[in-house]
Amino acid sequence: MTVFDPYGDPSRALRIALGALLLAAVVATAGAFAADPESAAPSPVAYDDAVELGLSSETDALMAGSARVPRTQVFYSQLQYVVGYNGVESFAATLGDGRTERQFGYPIAAYVETFDDARPGTTETGLFESTFAGEWTPAAEAVYVVGSDARSPAGETVVPFRTREAAEAFAADHGGRAVGWEAVRSRSYDTDSAATVRSMAPERWDAADERIAAAERRADRPVSVVVGEDAPTVEAAVAAAPANTTVVVPPGTYEETLTVNESVTIAGEDARISGDGDGSVITVRAPDVALTGLSVDGSGGQTRDPEAAREGREGGGGSGESDAGEVWDTNIQLGYGHGDAGIRAVDAPGLVVDDVTVEANASGLLLREGSHAVVRGLRVDGTAEWQDGFMGITGMQSRVTVTDSRFEGGRDGIYLHRADGSVVRNSTFADNRYGTHLMYTGDALLADNAFRNELFAGITVMTRPSGNAIVGNDVRNSSAGVQASGTRTYVGYNTLVDNELGFSTSSRGSLYERNVAADNELGARATTVVPSSRVVANDFVGNAEHAAAGAGALRVWADGDRGNYWEGANVGVHEPGERAYRPTSPVDGALHREVAAVAVRESPAVALLDRLRGTVPGARSGSVIDPAPASAPYSPDRIDAALDPGAGAVHADWRAELDGRSGDGDGDAAMNARDRNATSGGIDPRAKRNGSTTPAAPVAPATSPTPATTEGPGDA
Amino acid sequence: MTGPLTGVATVFRRELATVVRTPGYGVLAVGLLAAVGGLLAAGGGGATGFVPAVVDLLLPTEALVPVAAVVLGYRALLADGASGELAVIRTYPVRVGEYVAGVLLARTVALVAVVGVPYAVVGVGVWLTAAPDTGIFATHAGVDSPLLYLRFLAFVLLLGAAYVSLAAAVSALAASRRSAIALGALALVAGVLGGDLLLLRSLGGGASSATIPGSLPLTPNGAFRGLVFEHVIGVAFAPEGDFVATGRAVGSLVGWTLLGAVVAGATLAYGRRVDAAIERVRSGFGG
Repeated sequence: MTVFDPYGDPSRALRIALGALLLAAVVATAGAFAADPESAAPSPVAYDDAVELGLSSETDALMAGSARVPRTQVFYSQLQYVVGYNGVESFAATLGDGRTERQFGYPIAAYVETFDDARPGTTETGLFESTFAGEWTPAAEAVYVVGSDARSPAGETVVPFRTREAAEAFAADHGGRAVGWEAVRSRSYDTDSAATVRSMAPERWDAADERIAAAERRADRPVSVVVGEDAPTVEAAVAAAPANTTVVVPPGTYEETLTVNESVTIAGEDARISGDGDGSVITVRAPDVALTGLSVDGSGGQTRDPEAAREGREGGGGSGESDAGEVWDTNIQLGYGHGDAGIRAVDAPGLVVDDVTVEANASGLLLREGSHAVVRGLRVDGTAEWQDGFMGITGMQSRVTVTDSRFEGGRDGIYLHRADGSVVRNSTFADNRYGTHLMYTGDALLADNAFRNELFAGITVMTRPSGNAIVGNDVRNSSAGVQASGTRTYVGYNTLVDNELGFSTSSRGSLYERNVAADNELGARATTVVPSSRVVANDFVGNAEHAAAGAGALRVWADGDRGNYWEGANVGVHEPGERAYRPTSPVDGALHREVAAVAVRESPAVALLDRLRGTVPGARSGSVIDPAPASAPYSPDRIDAALDPGAGAVHADWRAELDGRSGDGDGDAAMNARDRNATSGGIDPRAKRNGSTTPAAPVAPATSPTPATTEGPGDA
Repeated sequence: MTGPLTGVATVFRRELATVVRTPGYGVLAVGLLAAVGGLLAAGGGGATGFVPAVVDLLLPTEALVPVAAVVLGYRALLADGASGELAVIRTYPVRVGEYVAGVLLARTVALVAVVGVPYAVVGVGVWLTAAPDTGIFATHAGVDSPLLYLRFLAFVLLLGAAYVSLAAAVSALAASRRSAIALGALALVAGVLGGDLLLLRSLGGGASSATIPGSLPLTPNGAFRGLVFEHVIGVAFAPEGDFVATGRAVGSLVGWTLLGAVVAGATLAYGRRVDAAIERVRSGFGG
């Protein structure tokens, strides 16, 4: 029994050991209080490794030139990830809002990119540029030039310098004045937010109305030539017609391919133009051409042009502005812009396509090099297997306005690349790969469309454009409803039913509201690591799982005391909306499926764990919380219509509602972080799908609807 | 080898032997480890760092640690008195103060083992496992460090010591094992809930909210909670925190510990005479 003898004198070694242990404990405890855990400021990291917020760095203006947005990287006390802001003002705007601090804690260190030795200047269009990248300087030590003529794509930009001399030299060339950090952080910046995008959605709709009306007027021209009477073929008739007149194509089938080099209207009446299966059927190379009342088939089946791709690689191919031999997106331009099409338009602005049907072997309508087009009543029937065909509409650097059209089969219904300001509305998509697919395309409006049986997704936005509005769409029976990357995206009033995934919150600094996610496998998925968007006033009904979250800080889905409606959140013995709802927790997530979950939820253990869950949200991971779940659906009528198998597509009257409140401001200070970005690649490997910058490879098949990155809003 | 220290040391060793021979305390430590570890695993806070771990543990700790402390202390002085051993001990040159100090010291060491070790083990677990859930992006610790957890541990032990001492006082006051259990439970409820209920009531009764900083640290639990917010959780919030006056809160915890010891000593020293006095009064009434 020598194991423990409290009465014997302990050996000397034991005494020393005990004393040492005691001393160590005392010293460690004293040290724990003496040491300051805040004191060690971390060193700057490679910017690419930071989770990026703020302005988009992938707007057309930035991608195509040497322009830069001064960057900032910030280490927050409660967030394990380093946050990068594009635009010093993006970071400064978060400092006063309180919301960022509640979510991530306070900044323990912030570095700004300074341009003393980087040869800063401005581009011809006034955007800030520099020959070299800047270096990292603690934000508090830098000197900033404000009010200069240097701008970012979104407006005013602050340019940081390490030394006052360099700042003053820049101010001497470009105006403005040099100020310290305190002055920068206390200024207010005129920054757009996703709420701005929301208020602009009805305006974009109206602008589309005007474009359509203008197109009608443009197409209405006096008749000059009638095919069959004045000329033997359509091509001959077009060649013979003077500019600004109409070529009439009487009923019948015309087996030919033609090129239009004159600004004329080709008006068919039940006329079919049938190609020979080689190349495009109608090629438009003149501005303001109108094609109406035609059926087109018999194009070649080539989806891209190896010739063009080869020439492009040898230099000079592709699109304009190739001062350095190859434009940044040459691959995409060549890959997607040079295939066969029913109707192909090259450098043909003002194109009008009205009441046209295309049986597409490759693209239905291919627009390239500024062929801004108005499309109404287009019907494209694509291939049965998407791998065999191409897009209903391929738009490269061409702003399209599409209304009342229908796209069936083929690869993507509409694929747009660098087509800022496009509008797609009132159209129907079915059995495509993606219904509508945007790359590097911002400020677009996708509204009141219906999507059915889309293999990968109804609406997808890849890369990081900003300012898109996705409103009032109805997506069903697809792998995913809406997956939009980017920044400042407005996703509202969509009805997403019977999909594998309703929507992902992949776009940052964005607003997701008034969507109805019903009967999906998964209602919504939070993807970006660092939450920066708002998800509020959405209705989640009948989904196997209402919401899931990828890696990253806790997502708080509410705006102040306004949350979302979650079926099941209010069962049990408490006032509706009183108890926070965590759709990602196994207990809460089962409430709408298993009544017994209510009893589990009331257990002391669960209640205990619920208690402090919202504290230190930045250091929580992988979950979603709605602190104020709504007691009733926000859009009960749309839910009823969505769940009624007999009803057709559901579209909210969002224009009336948005117009009605455009004045209320809605306080979106925090959104001004304008978070950019989204994707950054995503967090989990699967996230790459949405974030992929190469359009060519929408990799994953329909089986995993994992969207990409994103989001979460926040506000506790 | 004479003097008060010898007496304390002897009683301490004897008491330590009692503790070691009580297998229930080992079970208690294991149970506490399971509870604390389980809560952390279910809460998820420990997966990312020490501060969220402390946030998850704060509430359960306020109940679990007092319970463990009361279990350790509620029979500490009663057992010797009931078995008559105390009377035997009193025949030796050991004063009541030395006896109480020795017993309390041993019980506090037991507390360090029974409560401190499970919490320390959980802390080490957090240290080993907490990591960001993706390595794609650069990460940093934020304001999070094992030191913060060590601070938490120190506060936990201070809280526990106060309850051990109070429980010992209860055990000195109790006349039987059953009444010790009842009195211990009463002390537990009063400590864990009573103080805050009183505070609530005084606020509800119209007391100014300006009194909160002063009255919060008066109870052991309030002082503990305030200290954890001030020195652990609050560090991750804005740099200036003013949850509680540190000196006042620490003073409160130490004060409760001393109070328990003094009450216990006084009870052992003078309890018999008081009992006799009460008995006289009762018989006077009854007669």
